[in-house]
Amino acid sequence: MSGLSSGFGVWNPIAWALLFVGILVVSFIVRSFGNKGYKRGTGQTKVFLSGNDEPETSNGLHVRGDHLYWGMIDGLSAYYRRVKAWHTGILSDYAAWFVGVLGLVFVILVLAR
Amino acid sequence: MSATLLNAVWQGLIILVGGTFLGMIYKGLDRKLAAQMQGRIGPPLRQPFFDVVKLMVKENVVPDHAVAWLFNLMPLVSLAAVGTLLFYLPLGGFEPLLGGFGDLILILYLLAVPSLAMVLGGFAAGSPFATVGAQRELVMMMAYEFPLAITLLSLGWYLSSVMPGAQVFSLTVLASNPLWGLVGPLGFIGLLLLFCALMIVTPAELTKIPFDIPEAETEIAGGILAEYSGRNMAMFYLADAIKMVVMGSLTVALFFPYGLSGLLGVTGGIWGSVIDVAFYLVKVFVVIFFAVIVVRVAFARLKIGQAARLFWLPITGISLLGMVLLMLDRIV
Repeated sequence: MSGLSSGFGVWNPIAWALLFVGILVVSFIVRSFGNKGYKRGTGQTKVFLSGNDEPETSNGLHVRGDHLYWGMIDGLSAYYRRVKAWHTGILSDYAAWFVGVLGLVFVILVLAR
Repeated sequence: MSATLLNAVWQGLIILVGGTFLGMIYKGLDRKLAAQMQGRIGPPLRQPFFDVVKLMVKENVVPDHAVAWLFNLMPLVSLAAVGTLLFYLPLGGFEPLLGGFGDLILILYLLAVPSLAMVLGGFAAGSPFATVGAQRELVMMMAYEFPLAITLLSLGWYLSSVMPGAQVFSLTVLASNPLWGLVGPLGFIGLLLLFCALMIVTPAELTKIPFDIPEAETEIAGGILAEYSGRNMAMFYLADAIKMVVMGSLTVALFFPYGLSGLLGVTGGIWGSVIDVAFYLVKVFVVIFFAVIVVRVAFARLKIGQAARLFWLPITGISLLGMVLLMLDRIV
């Protein structure tokens, strides 16, 4: 069974997939020995929310994209403040950034040669 | 052919069962020693086994608004994904069973799968606390994956410069060529920094204090796992135990792959293997002791913003400095 060789290492996706499915089956068998019952439609199946009422699904549980990044933006707020200031929404500013970065890359490439 | 396959299946089962057993023992040691450090008696070493048995007989509640199939599947995916990692790592001084089928880069990717499974399970629970926990886990992953990648790639890069043409990301090659003996003074400092970065990433990978932010029992009641119970929870519990062995073994393979049998003059044979396996168990324990147990007793939980900042600035800085020092070591 040959794999994908990068010259520095190797990866065989088929071997991994077979192994993954094998362990998944073993895990499923182990899990099937457990208790599968619970009391549907009772207070047991209401989510835990410190005793508060459950919010409406469409309102309280909606996950927006910016929710996922909240911790990141909060942790690196100094960086994001600066970067946001650069995003002026003016097309000529973005064009200037593009030309500037292109020039910088060109200089680096020339120096690297 | 069939005999070879049968042999591989047996070896695989031994690795899987052995890895799980070890993980449970290390989990027991973690709880016992943490309790002793805090002046408590702590549970017996076999407590994690009791916990799994108890979880298996408890009811397996699926919340009303949960996406049931995803909610039930993710603990299995997490356990299976972390289980596959055991097959690519050198355990007990032996070569990895699937060492020729995957390398360090694969391990780097596979380490993310159990966490992603937990995230999907958290979102599928349809619970605000679980959703907050899942979001936090994603932020944690975005934060610690970068320094982890820099650390692992730096080691492979250095070895490739010393051994051109070798499969430098193979765990077998990395474990049989410890870098400590290959580097100069600058590289030695670089390696120390990379080791520190990996030791700080380890509790984050394992979602242990001070990085247990996605669970945060005192604030979001277990967060990502808040709605999990019974046999689903048992699967996550087992996955967590195995991941502890995986992180310990990865650190040992990359930084301390040395055996003891050669030093004692007992190379080869059953006694040589016994000594090396025992030494490997001690090394993994030492890694877990300092990276997990001591840290979780000594520190309080960070806020998610603090953790993101810690990994993106100081820890990434430490790993980048380690990488630069390794590069300078080859040039100077």
